[in-house]
Amino acid sequence: MGQIEWAMWANEQALASGLILITGGIVATAGQFTQWYFGAYSIAAGVFICLLEYPRGKRKKGSTMERCGQKYMTKVVKLFGPFSRNYYVRAILHLGLSVPAGFLLATILGTACLAISSGIYLLAATRGEQWTPIESKPKERPQVGATIKQPPSNPPPRPPAEARKKLSEEEEVATGVSSGPQENPIPVTDEVV
Amino acid sequence: MAVSWRSWLANEGVKHLCLLIWLSLNVLFFWKTFLLYNQGPEYHYLHQMLGLGLCLSRASASVLNLNCSLILLPMCRTLLAYLRGSQKVPSRRTRRLLDKSRTFHITCGVTICIFSGVHVAAHLVNALNFSVNYNDEFVELNAARYRNEDPRKLLFTTVPGLTGVCMVLVLFLMITASTYAIRVSNYDIFWYTHNLFFVFYMLLMLHVSGGLLKYQTNLDTHPPGCVYLNGSRYRHIHLSEYLSEQFRESFPGGFSKPDELTRNTFVKICMEEPRFQANFPQTWLWISGPLCLYCAERLYRCIRSNKPVTIISVISHPSDVMEIRMVKENFKARPGQYIILHCPSVSALENHPFTLTMCPTETKATFGVHLKIVGDWTERFRDLLLPPSSQDSEILPFIQSRNYPKLYIDGPFGSPFEESLNYEVSLCVAGGIGVTPFASILNTLLDDWKPYKLRRLYFIWVCRDIQSFRWFADLLCVLHNKFWQENRPDYVNIQLYLSQTDGIQIIGEKYQALNSRLFIGRPRWKLLFDEIAKCNRGKSISDLRIFISRSPELLFVNLSPLPCLLHKFLLLGPPRIPLSPQLRDITNLHENSWCFLLWTQFNF
Repeated sequence: MGQIEWAMWANEQALASGLILITGGIVATAGQFTQWYFGAYSIAAGVFICLLEYPRGKRKKGSTMERCGQKYMTKVVKLFGPFSRNYYVRAILHLGLSVPAGFLLATILGTACLAISSGIYLLAATRGEQWTPIESKPKERPQVGATIKQPPSNPPPRPPAEARKKLSEEEEVATGVSSGPQENPIPVTDEVV
Repeated sequence: MAVSWRSWLANEGVKHLCLLIWLSLNVLFFWKTFLLYNQGPEYHYLHQMLGLGLCLSRASASVLNLNCSLILLPMCRTLLAYLRGSQKVPSRRTRRLLDKSRTFHITCGVTICIFSGVHVAAHLVNALNFSVNYNDEFVELNAARYRNEDPRKLLFTTVPGLTGVCMVLVLFLMITASTYAIRVSNYDIFWYTHNLFFVFYMLLMLHVSGGLLKYQTNLDTHPPGCVYLNGSRYRHIHLSEYLSEQFRESFPGGFSKPDELTRNTFVKICMEEPRFQANFPQTWLWISGPLCLYCAERLYRCIRSNKPVTIISVISHPSDVMEIRMVKENFKARPGQYIILHCPSVSALENHPFTLTMCPTETKATFGVHLKIVGDWTERFRDLLLPPSSQDSEILPFIQSRNYPKLYIDGPFGSPFEESLNYEVSLCVAGGIGVTPFASILNTLLDDWKPYKLRRLYFIWVCRDIQSFRWFADLLCVLHNKFWQENRPDYVNIQLYLSQTDGIQIIGEKYQALNSRLFIGRPRWKLLFDEIAKCNRGKSISDLRIFISRSPELLFVNLSPLPCLLHKFLLLGPPRIPLSPQLRDITNLHENSWCFLLWTQFNF
C-alpha cells in the first residue's frame, strides 16, 4: 500500500461529485422546489469544481493519462499557483462548497460525495502529494545526420554486424591499426542458420 | 460481400446475440414493471400519491435486480476456467464468449450505475410526494408520519432510506475507483474499494426489507375508484352529484343530460375498505443464487490455496525479471493460464496475478512464473527471495529452500491464450513481459506438439531492451532446433523486434538463430499480414487467430503499434484499407473478421 497516490482518486471523486451537484441543481431549479436558489448555487459550484478538477495532476512515478483536451484548463489552473498545487487548500475548499448544497433534498447526495472527496484530498495532502501540471515535452526531431552514429570505416565487402562490433572493440584497445588489405575478422564458414 | 457477412457472423455474431438478449431482457423488465405500477389496479392509490416517480423507481429497481444478479457471474473465475477446459463447451465460438466475461461485468456495472441514478432521483421525488401528498384516507399507505414532514427526515430515518444513502456512497466509492485511469495507475485502490461489493449486497438485502411501498390485496371487494353506497365517511356528497362530477372529470366536454346518463352507468361499489400489504422483496430471490455461487467459489479457492507451494529455484534474469520455479501437490494447469501469488511475508492483503510460463506436465511437476520487478510488492518479494548481493549476477539458482518465505497460489484461471493451440494458424504478438503466456505455449510445444490442432505459429516479440530477449532465448533456440531436426522448420516462425534503435543489436553469441531473426525497429504489419496471407492460402477464416499480449508499460505509449494499428486496421472498412488481394482472399476481410484480443498483465 506504500505507493498509492490518493490524489488521483480524490480527483476522480471530485469530478464525479461536481457532475452530481450539477444534476441535482438542475432538478431543483427546474422543479421549482422551495429554496430553489440552493439548486442554482449547486449548479454554479458543480461547474466550478468540474473545471478545477478536470486537468489531472502528474503522477510521481510513471506516465499519466491526460484527459481529453485538458491542456487548456491546465494553463488556467496553473495560474493560481500554490492555491491549486496544495491539496490542503483543495480539501478545505471542497468541504466549504459542499455545505450549502446539503440543505436541499435534491443536492444532498452531491454534498456527501464531495465531502468524501475532500476527506481523500486531506489524506493525500498529509502524505505530501502535490498537484503538478502535465506539460507536453517539445518533440525533438532527430536530425538525419545525427542518427548515423558510426559510419563504416572499411570499404565493402564488410563483415556482418557482430564482427563489426568486435572489430570496433579491438580497435579501441589497440589504437593505430593499419588499414591494410582486407582481412576477414572471423573465419567464413558455411553455416546453416 | 455475402462471404464477409458470414465471416462476421462467425466471429462476432454470438457475442452480439448475447448482448442483444441481455438488452432485451432489460428493456422487457423495465417496461413490464413500469406498466404494472402505472396501470395496475393494486397500485392505483399509491400511484395517485406518487405519480411518475413511483413507476420510474420501481422499473429501474427491476433492471437493477437483474444486473446485480448477473454481474457476479463473470467473476466466478474457477467456474469459467472449468468451462473453458471441459468438453461441455464444445465449440470454439462459444468459448470465445468466455473471453468477454470481463467486458460483460463492466457493462452490467455501468448499467447499475446509470439505473441507480434514475432510481435515486425517482425516490427523492417520491420522498417529496410522500410528504406533500400525505393521504388522510388510507393512512397505512403513507411513508411519512404527517403531512409536509421534511422529506430529508424520511430519507434518513427509514430503513430503506438510510440503507439507500449508504449504498449510494459505497457505489460512488466503487465507481470512482474503477475508472480506466485509476485501474492502470493505482490498481490497489480499485481492488480494495471493489471488495466493498459485499457491503453493498448486504445493504441491498436490508434495503428491500423495508416494505415502504404497499399494494392493495382486496381488489375484488374494493376495486379502486369505487364508491360507498351508504354515505361514505370520506365523501359527504350526494351519490348522483358524485357520479355526475366523476363524469364531468372524465369527459370534459360535458353531456347535456348528465342525470340520464348516471342512471345507465355501471358503478363500482365498495364492500369494504382497502387493505394494503408490503411487496415481497423479490430482490432476495434474484441475488441469493449468484451471491451463494460466488461465496462458494471464494470458499473453494480459499481451501484450495491453503497449502503453500515449495519453491525449487529462483533465477534472476536481465532487465529486472525474476523466474520462480515451484511444485505443488495436485496442481494442474493448461498453457496460457495464470495464477495469483500471495506472500504473507511481503504483504498480508495483496495478491497479484502472474501468467504461468511453464506448466506442470505428466512427467514433470515443476511449474514457473516470470515476474517483472516494477512495483513495491515485487521489489520486496525479490529482496526476500534473492539477497541483494547476488542480484547483480546473471543467473544464480538457489538450492536452499529453507530460507524462502511461504508462498501461496490461487488458481489456475483461464485466459484467452489457452486457445492458441486450438487453431491451425496462430499469430502471437507479444510486447515486453507480455510474452509470458506464449512462453508456456512454447514450453508445451517443446514437450509434444502433435496432439494439438496448431500447425503453424507466428511468434512476434517486440522489446525495448535487447537484454529482454534473453528471458526466453534458450527456449526459443531449443524449440527452433527441435523443429528443424523433426523436419518441420516452418512450424514456429520467430520474429524478434527491437524497438529502441541505438545500443547493442545482437542478443548473444550463442543465439545465432535468434540474431538472424532480429529486426531493428517496429514491426511492419501490412507486410507481415501480406506474407502470412501468401503462405496460408486456402485456409478459411476459422482456422486463423491473432493473440496479442502486451506489457503494462506499453499502455501509455501512443506510438505503440500493437493495439493502435491493428485496431485501426480492423475498424477501417474494406474500401479504405489498402489490402492486398491475397489477404482479402484468405480472411474474407470484414472489419471485424480478425479475431482480436487484448489482455493486459499487471505485474507489481
